[in-house]
Amino acid sequence: MEKTIMTVTMNPAVDIQYVVPEFMPGRWFRASEVDRSAGGKGINVSIILQQLGYESAAMGFLAGFSGEYIRDTLRRLKLTTNFVNVIGESRTDIYVVDEVGHMETGIAEPGPYVPEEALGRFMKNFERMLSRARLVYIGGSLPPGVPQDAYKDLILRCKAARVPVFLDASGPSLTSALEACPMAVKFDHRFLFSTLGYPMGSIDDILNLVSGIHDNGVEWSVTTYRMVGNIFYTPQGIYMVDIAREEREQMVSLLAIGDALMAGLIVAILEGMDVERAIRFAQACSLEDTLHVKKGIRGRQMVEALMPKITVEKLR
Amino acid sequence: MLVEDLMDRDLTSLSEDATLMDAIEVLSRHRIPGIPIVDDDGRVIGFLSEKDIVRAALPGYVDLLEDPSYVPDMGQFMMRMRRASKDKVGRHMTKEVVCLKASDSDFHAALIMIKKNLKRVPVVEDGILVGVLNRADIIEHLMSE
Repeated sequence: MEKTIMTVTMNPAVDIQYVVPEFMPGRWFRASEVDRSAGGKGINVSIILQQLGYESAAMGFLAGFSGEYIRDTLRRLKLTTNFVNVIGESRTDIYVVDEVGHMETGIAEPGPYVPEEALGRFMKNFERMLSRARLVYIGGSLPPGVPQDAYKDLILRCKAARVPVFLDASGPSLTSALEACPMAVKFDHRFLFSTLGYPMGSIDDILNLVSGIHDNGVEWSVTTYRMVGNIFYTPQGIYMVDIAREEREQMVSLLAIGDALMAGLIVAILEGMDVERAIRFAQACSLEDTLHVKKGIRGRQMVEALMPKITVEKLR
Repeated sequence: MLVEDLMDRDLTSLSEDATLMDAIEVLSRHRIPGIPIVDDDGRVIGFLSEKDIVRAALPGYVDLLEDPSYVPDMGQFMMRMRRASKDKVGRHMTKEVVCLKASDSDFHAALIMIKKNLKRVPVVEDGILVGVLNRADIIEHLMSE
């Protein structure tokens, strides 16, 4: 049986995007466009992987009506799922996209409480799924009840099974997970600066930070720089990535752009692309996702057409 | 059309060392009438239905349950159910499981499900669970044609 990619979303959400021209607080608006989708980082990565032609299995916790909506959406997309259902209600996250002001406003819920027995059931499923995994992606926030070192635990289990792990997290769950050294990490450098006590500000400060993570054994890391550009730390050096101005001006929504980037990077590494092409491909996935309200990408061809719009500069 | 076009790629399952209480909780939370039982590699080794759970509490009555007059009083039933809830799933699951392959035709799947009166059938590849086919999925498919 062919091995698959596993994605873990401990705290899935129903993502609702409202397009509201000239949005501002304290007033009543009618949305000119609405997009409702199953979300949470791992689920987004699963959906985008499918759009890139790759199968995956999505895991995590679901609850209540929102959970049923998420599961049903994934079922209709013919995605493989293995969720543990708990009492409560999965999150609904609201995004207001202001096309005129080019701003996005978001509100996220905390998610349902996950009891110890449900976490135990998830871990058992995870172990079982690992035997058929070629790569594991873990992303997003932890719901109440799940300990902050849960990602570290999952990464250690993957390492024992010799399965590479990609991680996109923040807060204490990230700092704990870094101790287990996943293969690739996407993170918010502002959070790590404050947690690890690094001086913050210049590009050199960021480079020192990612170098430190790399020295601990992480092969790839990505951190956002100037909103839509990224710094990639790779096995062959550090790269600064930027997007052509004309493409920046066409951006509509930033929802799930980091997830598109990680899905692109997974595909690039599984296909054995060279480092610069891998970076360009991942960044083009992210860029394609920004060009429309609907979350995800409109196919691999669209992504490849955008690759020349990405500039990749080797810094070190 | 093939089973892989119709099946739900849901891998919700239990291992045989789970308790009936675990199974009841999963069936209730996932709103499903039965669950595949798998080994550590995800290979299907059994199936546990709601009927199997009732049989665990009332072994002599299950085939007569079509007629409600055979049901004993609820107090007794609850007491027996609580006692059985600590049993391992492996003790009460159906071991000779009817499975489909993803490459089976919709016609073959429909025949099997009608003939054996099954609501939910595991779909396997090399014996490993890859999804489930629900009777409702087939009916929906037939009606949409």
